[in-house]
Amino acid sequence: MKAPRFSRKTLCIPYAVFLLFFVIAPMLIILAYAFTDREMHFSVMNFVRFFSDPSKLSTIVYSIVIALITTVVCLLIAFPVAYILARSKMKKKFVIVMLFVLPMWINFVLRINAIRELFNWIGILGQANYFNTVFGMVYDFLPFMILPPYTTMLKIDDSLYEACSDLGGNGFTSFARITLPLSKPGILSGVTMVFLPSMTNYVVSDMLGNSKVTIIGKFIYEYFESDWHMGSMVALILLIVVFVSTLLSGGFKSEENVRGANL
Amino acid sequence: MKKRGYILLAALFLLPSVLPLLAGCADDTVELRVYSWEEYIDEGGEGALLYDELHLTDEAGAAVPSDLIGDDYKSWYEDAMGTPLSEDGPAILEDFELWYAKTYPDRPRVKVKYSTFGTNEDMYNKIMLGKEYDLLCPSDYMIMKLAAEGRLTPYDEDFFLTEGEGSENNYYAKNVSPYIDGVFANGKVTIKTEDGSEEKAWREYAAGYMWGTTGFVYNPEYVDREELENLGWSAFTNKSYANKITAKDNVRDTYFAALGVTYQEEKHNQISSLSDLEKQYTANELSAEEYNAAVTRIFNATDEETVDAVEPYLMAIKQNIYGFETDTGKTDLASGKIWLNYAWSGDAVYVMSLAEEENDTELDYYVPSAGSNLWFDGWVMTKNVEKRKTKHAAQAFVNFLSMPENAMRNSYYIGYTSAIGGEKMFDYASYLYADDEAEDPVEYDLKYFFGEDLDAVLTADRADTLHGQLFAQYPSTDIIDRCAVMNYFDAATSERINELWAHVKAEKLDAWAITVIVVSAVAIVLGVIFAKFGHKIDFFRRKPKKGYTLVKQQDPIRI
Repeated sequence: MKAPRFSRKTLCIPYAVFLLFFVIAPMLIILAYAFTDREMHFSVMNFVRFFSDPSKLSTIVYSIVIALITTVVCLLIAFPVAYILARSKMKKKFVIVMLFVLPMWINFVLRINAIRELFNWIGILGQANYFNTVFGMVYDFLPFMILPPYTTMLKIDDSLYEACSDLGGNGFTSFARITLPLSKPGILSGVTMVFLPSMTNYVVSDMLGNSKVTIIGKFIYEYFESDWHMGSMVALILLIVVFVSTLLSGGFKSEENVRGANL
Repeated sequence: MKKRGYILLAALFLLPSVLPLLAGCADDTVELRVYSWEEYIDEGGEGALLYDELHLTDEAGAAVPSDLIGDDYKSWYEDAMGTPLSEDGPAILEDFELWYAKTYPDRPRVKVKYSTFGTNEDMYNKIMLGKEYDLLCPSDYMIMKLAAEGRLTPYDEDFFLTEGEGSENNYYAKNVSPYIDGVFANGKVTIKTEDGSEEKAWREYAAGYMWGTTGFVYNPEYVDREELENLGWSAFTNKSYANKITAKDNVRDTYFAALGVTYQEEKHNQISSLSDLEKQYTANELSAEEYNAAVTRIFNATDEETVDAVEPYLMAIKQNIYGFETDTGKTDLASGKIWLNYAWSGDAVYVMSLAEEENDTELDYYVPSAGSNLWFDGWVMTKNVEKRKTKHAAQAFVNFLSMPENAMRNSYYIGYTSAIGGEKMFDYASYLYADDEAEDPVEYDLKYFFGEDLDAVLTADRADTLHGQLFAQYPSTDIIDRCAVMNYFDAATSERINELWAHVKAEKLDAWAITVIVVSAVAIVLGVIFAKFGHKIDFFRRKPKKGYTLVKQQDPIRI
């Protein structure tokens, strides 16, 4: 009797099963719920109700705006850090990288609670709910914006910079013509990793915005308390927003230099 | 060869589903599946009554709950469970298994499988997904909803016998507070049956567990009691409490509060205001029953006109409050971030003792005197008890928890007010709150709750009976007469009120702003798609000049 041998096909089965049960089936269930009413008859009422209600559209718009601001602020902070770290000749670079990644290892709810106390001490808790929410999001997602550009920049060959200065390029030129284009995949992957979750991370808006800030994730959660059909419709619409924004940022392209960008 | 690999994998996947079956065959115990709130039962160990009884001493400065039930807990425990009381503080669920085996030796043993939920809606959704539980502990409105939908099994008639054969272990029927029993007997729910519908009393489906009111816990250092009494529900929109008061982050509780604010001073849709009603009542123009009926009507108004009338008030609440909270309100109040927290009485008791012990601050409890919410959680049996033959065990479980000793244990552990009355429970209340050496002692009459035939009058500090923990746990008769139970919302009502909630929670943009944003978003999307894929469509491609042909562009050389 020979020992069982696993072919490539067999090794795919666990993932295929996972994909079927936890990715495809839930999506179909959401789709089914979104387009049915309470008696499970086909209905487009949820769709109509969503787009005829200014408060629902406002929530989507607010979520996107919060997510956009979060992403831009994260990028403004993270990109220079990633650039400096990647280009510097420091010996203990990893220590600094580690310091940025370290907060990710501490429980997220604990960190947000700590921020809450800090804001209370400063006196802005309950005063500037939107600012607090965005701050919390930035704090939470910053590491996701540092690492991908950093890893892509590490891979840039030094000879490119040498060639640039040989040809008379100054610091700005080398940044604009080499660093920026070549780290684009890293930036895009960072943007996706920050933008998408910050539309739905309602723990932050609840804790730091005292539940006065409603983002789309909270909306879905609240509908699922009472009306799964409307909740599924909102989830589906969010899915479309996410799909479109990923399409816009070119996340579906499979270029070879994306490699290493996705950690 | 390949086949064997598949079989191996299939076996791996199937293993978890076969295991419980194997375990189930092993012995002939009955599994009672209980589904209740988180931290809502005595779990034993430190902080549990029996543990404290055994380990705390008077010298340590802590009160000892001894001598409440005659001799001591040890002999009661050994008598009831048939095993010696262990030093590490037993938990009530295991005790039930022991007690059941001892009390019903002819029946199969019971194993309790206890799981917990965080909200009534979570529980309901779990049940709708087909999870099979025997005994549930939902709140008032959820009991009504489950009963109306025909998901509950009524208690046996024998369950309510208080004397004669078969009543020996009917601890619930014997001990339940006459007040709670009255509420459960008067409350009606319409149940769908095969031939139309039937009106039934809550009592037939539910046995009370914990109960209370809703009101404001506040810090008397910042909040003037008299001002608060004048404001009533309008405290939510009062500018001097701006950013210092919280509301609950769920539809029902905040809608209830908003109804209070709406009707506090003004009449809407031919229903007179709460303060007018209160004046009529104090002038004896209304009987207690009429007054309660009016309050019940106000707090159950969910028609379209009322919802429209409530919306601006709910908006005003949102503008004025510190925030909506589910759990943070308690700690925020104790730490001084806020002055008033709209809370359930059980949580109020908890935060009051927390503030007293940890921050040495006094917190008070206020129930809007014009009328507020009466809530309760009760044990109900699902349809599964008949199918799974667990009805006897389920009823025995309710009876076991209704033994005064166990009611004390649960109440002591979780801090809520038990629905069990009677002499022993009154002794327990006295142990907690009676104060003969109070500076300003008053007689606090609790006969309505513990029983008219008992001498249930506590001597306690006046302040404690007006706004202290005693008042929060056992409200006075005049307050309780003005409290209303809020019914469940049917599907249409639920949709209407959820829409209202969504409107209030969302930050509304002007219609034109949305139009501009949506149109520009669509334009950007189309623009990007065009920029990316436009060159692939012949129509948009620039035609070569006459005499030229188009050569396919070569890929640039990659670095």
